Formats: sequence, structure tokens, C-alpha cells
Amino acid sequence: MTKNWRRTKIFELNYEFDWSIPFREPYLGMMITGVKVTIILLVSTSITSLLLGTAISIMRISRIKIVRMLGTLYVEIFRNVPGLFWILFFYFIFPELLPSWIGDKLNTYTYYPVVAGILGLTVDNASYVSDILRSGRLAIPHGQREAAISTGLGRVQQYFHVLLPQMYRAALPPLGTRMVHNFKNTSLCMAITAPELTWATQNIESLTFRGIEATTIATLFYIALASAMIAVIIILEKVLKIDVSGISASEA
Amino acid sequence: MQLLDQLANWNFYLFGPFPRGEMGGLFLNIIMAFLAIVFSFVVGAIVGYSRLSCRMYVKFPCFAYVELIRSTPLIMLIFWFYFFLPYIFGSGITIFWSAVIALSVYASAYEAEIVRAGVMAIPKGQMEAALSTGMSRYQSMRHVILPQAFRIMVPSFVSFFVSLFKDTSVTYIIGVIELTQAGIIISQRQPDKMYAAYISMGIGFWLVSFSMSHFARRLEKKIGVFDLESIRPDACRDDFMLLPAHKKDKTPDTLSTSCPPQS
Repeated sequence: MTKNWRRTKIFELNYEFDWSIPFREPYLGMMITGVKVTIILLVSTSITSLLLGTAISIMRISRIKIVRMLGTLYVEIFRNVPGLFWILFFYFIFPELLPSWIGDKLNTYTYYPVVAGILGLTVDNASYVSDILRSGRLAIPHGQREAAISTGLGRVQQYFHVLLPQMYRAALPPLGTRMVHNFKNTSLCMAITAPELTWATQNIESLTFRGIEATTIATLFYIALASAMIAVIIILEKVLKIDVSGISASEA
Repeated sequence: MQLLDQLANWNFYLFGPFPRGEMGGLFLNIIMAFLAIVFSFVVGAIVGYSRLSCRMYVKFPCFAYVELIRSTPLIMLIFWFYFFLPYIFGSGITIFWSAVIALSVYASAYEAEIVRAGVMAIPKGQMEAALSTGMSRYQSMRHVILPQAFRIMVPSFVSFFVSLFKDTSVTYIIGVIELTQAGIIISQRQPDKMYAAYISMGIGFWLVSFSMSHFARRLEKKIGVFDLESIRPDACRDDFMLLPAHKKDKTPDTLSTSCPPQS
């Protein structure tokens, strides 16, 4: 054992651990910004992709053929191309496609990487969410809709009061897995220099050549938050569960 | 037809600098996904199968492995294998192999889940029937349980291949010249070809994963599919184990998937 416990050697590594680095000033700030940006990305993309995914899943079960086809087209296009491509697309190509007065503004905007990351992750995640919600909708027995009609609810009210709550509940386990996946995908935003946690660790690595400590802490953060999300989903599942053991499928 | 002119170097998107250099481009994505799925198969199968054991000291390490890998972003795994393994094992690994190893470790956790769900879907009577014909536990696993389990796993493996194929695009971050990197190289060296680069990137990924996922869907219709989400993670199937933890007369004779009470 050396005198300083922070500088111990393991095996015959040509690497000396210095656990104070991620907690020293310029780097501590980077890590804290990284955690903040990661959480901003997580929360905003979860909300937007849930909204967009719900809209598209409703489009995909519409009675109008063109609307249904548009929904299917969206899912087929966005699901079959990696999320990283969409993030790069919204960062590099999207401002060029817009009219120049708004595109130039976007290109010079300081936080545009974060915005592009949110857009890219949203369109990618929404396609999966809509697929999951669609199978949740198909799991609802037909009688629910008929019962809603017979109580005099309008088409929009049917969705908001009867069908959507059941859709979300039926789709909760795969939806939760998808949201954890989305959380992990926020780390892809480092490709466009959004200052999130992975980017912070790689920045520290390139500045100090001592990235292991920061990366360890970041990995532990990801594992902890993902496990917490899974725990919340399991609790939600238990809370929202309704005992339907008495009702058979034909009755419902 | 300006766009067609811009796609003149389609060779680079497909094969990278292949005839004069290393293989790259879309072909490399497919190779990496395929190698990762093949390399991780043994580890994934062993971990997934052992997770069904009722013995805590067999089950828990496998559970911890799967959950740790599954809750780490792929990009983090790639960095771990690219930057930090050389500190431990010395240098000498090319970026291609470090990317393949990282992808294999990532894939093994997901394959373990597929294998676990596939074995769970086999009815309990199969093992009993196999044992009653006089086969040993190993023989009945080898000839009865696993062939059936792998048959119903095939669609899941194909759709996992699609998702892994899309995930190989992440390896561009450490400099593997696959399709994303090829597109970025072209769009940076020749900014007038930026649109063409991104369009060919998108079309390349889209064609492969669209055709593969349709193939998976057709297989699902033919073979049937199990629901990965519906299987509880704490469930165990000691009756399928090579070395069951409990005496036969103590295991409950139902199809229940929960742990039998400890002695």
C-alpha cells in the first residue's frame, strides 16, 4: 500500500488512479452540467416521444386509409434507421433544409446540439412507442369501445376517458423498457457535442488523459438511474394492476 | 440528375476503402453485427440458461451481469473497451476488434434474455417425457429441450440482429469506417455532397433493416413468438437444469414458474 490511498496501482497497470480528478474544479463543473443535460434530454424526450408516439399509434388504427398509411410510413421509415442517424440529421442537415433566416439562427444557437438531440431522439423513440401502444390498443377488448359509445361519449372523449388509459396500462412493461432504452440513447448526443454526461467524461479524458475515473462515475450514474427507472416501472405496474381474474375474454 | 452524379462514389458507402485499404462501409456494419451475435452466442446461452436455475449462487451473478450490461449505454461499453482495456491488457487491439468485442458483450446480455424466455416457453412435460424415455438429463436437454427452445428463439434472434445492426452505427465514434463514418467523411471532405452522403447513409441502413425485419415478421408468423416482457425476472425453472437443486418429489407438479420453497 502506498501512502496516498488515492494513488494506488492495480496489477501492473501503467495507469495511476487519481480519484480526485472528477471532483476538481473545471472537471466537476463539466460533470454536473453533464448530469443536468442528460436529465433534461431524458425528461423532454420521454414526454415528446410519448405524445408523438400516441398520435401516430392513433393514426395507425384510424378508419381513413390515407391516415393509416401515413402512420405506417412514419414507423417504417424511422424505425429502420439508427437513432444516431437522426441525431446527426437534425444537427447537420435540418438547419440547411429550413429557410436561411431561421436556419442560420439555429446554426449559431449555443444549445442547438441539445435541441437537435431532443429532436432526433424523439422521432426515433416515437416510432417504437407508437408500435408498443398500437399493440396495447389491440389488447383492449372490443366491448370497451362499444360501452363507451353507448354511454354517449364522443370520439375524442372515448379516447381520453376510456381507451388511452387502458392502452397505457396494457403497454406499460414494454413502454418502460423502451424509456430505459431511450435514457441510454441520450448518450448518443455526444456525437453532436451536446454537453451531456458521456461527452463530459470524454472531454475530461482528452484534457487530462485520466478518463477512467470520470467514466466509472458516469457508468455508475447510468446504471443507478436506469435501475431506479425500472424500479419505478415495476411499482407502477403493481399499483395500476386491476384484478381481472374473474372476467374471461369472451365476457369482456 | 445532379444527385446521381453525387452518388458516384457508391463504392465507398458500400465497402469503404476496400480494394486499396481495409473493408468498411455498409458491409462492415453487417459483418460487425454478425460477428458480435456469433461470438456472444455461447456466453449469452450459458448466462440465460443459468438464470433459470433456482440456486441463488448460480442465478444471482447471471442476473447481475445481464442487468449491469443492459443498463449501461452501448457507447459507454465501447469507450470502456476502446480506451481502458489497453491499460490492462496492453495495446495491440485494432479499433475494429475492440468494437466487435464491445458489441459482443452488449449482445450477450440481450441474447441471455432471449434464451431465458425461449427456454421458459417450453412446457414442463417435455423434460419429464424425455426423462421417462430413459434419457439422461444431459441427453434430454441436448435432444429435446434445446432444439425446441432454439426453434422458437429464431425470430427473436433475427429481430435482435436488426437492432444490433443499427447499433453498430455507434462504433463510428471510435473511428471504425462503417457507413456512418463513411458518410461523415464524404460530407466533410466534399461539403457539396452532404445531402447525397446523408441520403445514402439513410437508404443503406433502411434497406438492410427493413428487409431483415420483414423477414423476422414472416418467421414470427410461421414459428410463433413469445412475449419477452411477460416473463417475470425472478422466475426459475429448476426442472430444466442439468443439476437440479431440489429432489424430484419436492418440486411442485404444476406448471408454476416460481421457485419451489427452499427445502
